[in-house]
Amino acid sequence: MSEVHHKHTPDAFERVRTPLLTLITQESLDQDYEVVARRAATADAPAGGRRPPRGRAAVVGVVAVFGLLVSIAAVQTSRNADVDDADRAEIIERIDARRDAVADDQQKLSDLRDENTSAESTLVDLGDLLNRTQSQLRGLQAATGFAAVTGPGIKISLDNASYADATSTIRDSDLALLVDALWSAGAEAIAINGQRLTPMTGIRNVSTAIEVNRVGIAAPYTVLAIGDRSTLASGLLDSGSGLAFSTLAEQYGFQFDVDNEDDLRLPAAPADIGRLRSAKTEPDSVNRAEEEGTS
Amino acid sequence: MIAVLGLLVGIVLGFVFQPDVPLGLEPYLPIAVVAALDAVFGGLRAHLDGIFDDKVFVVSFLSNVVIAAGIVYMGDRLGVGGQLSTGVIVVLGIRIFTNVAAIRRHVFHA
Repeated sequence: MSEVHHKHTPDAFERVRTPLLTLITQESLDQDYEVVARRAATADAPAGGRRPPRGRAAVVGVVAVFGLLVSIAAVQTSRNADVDDADRAEIIERIDARRDAVADDQQKLSDLRDENTSAESTLVDLGDLLNRTQSQLRGLQAATGFAAVTGPGIKISLDNASYADATSTIRDSDLALLVDALWSAGAEAIAINGQRLTPMTGIRNVSTAIEVNRVGIAAPYTVLAIGDRSTLASGLLDSGSGLAFSTLAEQYGFQFDVDNEDDLRLPAAPADIGRLRSAKTEPDSVNRAEEEGTS
Repeated sequence: MIAVLGLLVGIVLGFVFQPDVPLGLEPYLPIAVVAALDAVFGGLRAHLDGIFDDKVFVVSFLSNVVIAAGIVYMGDRLGVGGQLSTGVIVVLGIRIFTNVAAIRRHVFHA
């Protein structure tokens, strides 16, 4: 090799200046072939003629190694290609599975959305029903005395005579007569000393005291009644029980005053007296009553 | 002619035994094959030029394979294995093309 360099020293600059690609192209053949050939030519020996069998065997061995390398590389590459293909198939399978899962989820989503819509419409219906039922309930409570009501009406003040003894005080039957008279005169709501009258309310004597809604009250009594003021006071005295009451009042000297009031407020009766323990509602009867009420 | 026989024997051996390449050597096998291809085409061209020499062929073959694999190994250690193997393949590819062009001129006289 050193010999070569010595021979080609003037070319060294040339070689440095040559672009790399050009150099690669020019020296694509191993220069050693030329060098050896030149050396053989100078030694005056036939170039192709001197081939020792050992060298030829080496060439054959090297070429065999080359073939071995090529086939091994090909086998290895095709083997890896199998692995790559398997990977790809698996990934595609996974993608498909995920896609199916996504489609299922979307189906579920739209189902749920539909359910949501129908549930919302049911909610709206139920809200309407609730509103109707609540207003119905309020009406019923007002009518039966389990809700506070306000309105114009009359105020009746009633007291024992100043000279009354135990036999001439106001009794439960007297108050009941007055209440009957008020109902028949068209009163819509009645309260005695703040105790609202309901269908369950009793007015009764317990020794000398009077109990309304199981609460004891004492004279003087204030009876508030809501109704049409133009007919209430006059109707009170026209009815049979009203006449009976006024007769009693005169007889025992009750102090009895009727005043018109613009704005009366009647409290609700305690809820516990309205609780039904034995009576059960019949669904049919409620519907029938409702239909009759609406028709 | 006997070299072609050797090539066939090598290929058949490779396909019959299908040896497993160790995992560590696997990246260097394709580079070694390309380097060997360059040496083989160079030898073929020299043969057609009439300046073929056994010793030069054997030495160039072995050194090509070892140097190419060594460069890629060094690149792997330095973190530029992919780029270096690309460079090696480009240079060897140019050499192969040039040699094959020379062979073509010899065979077809064109």
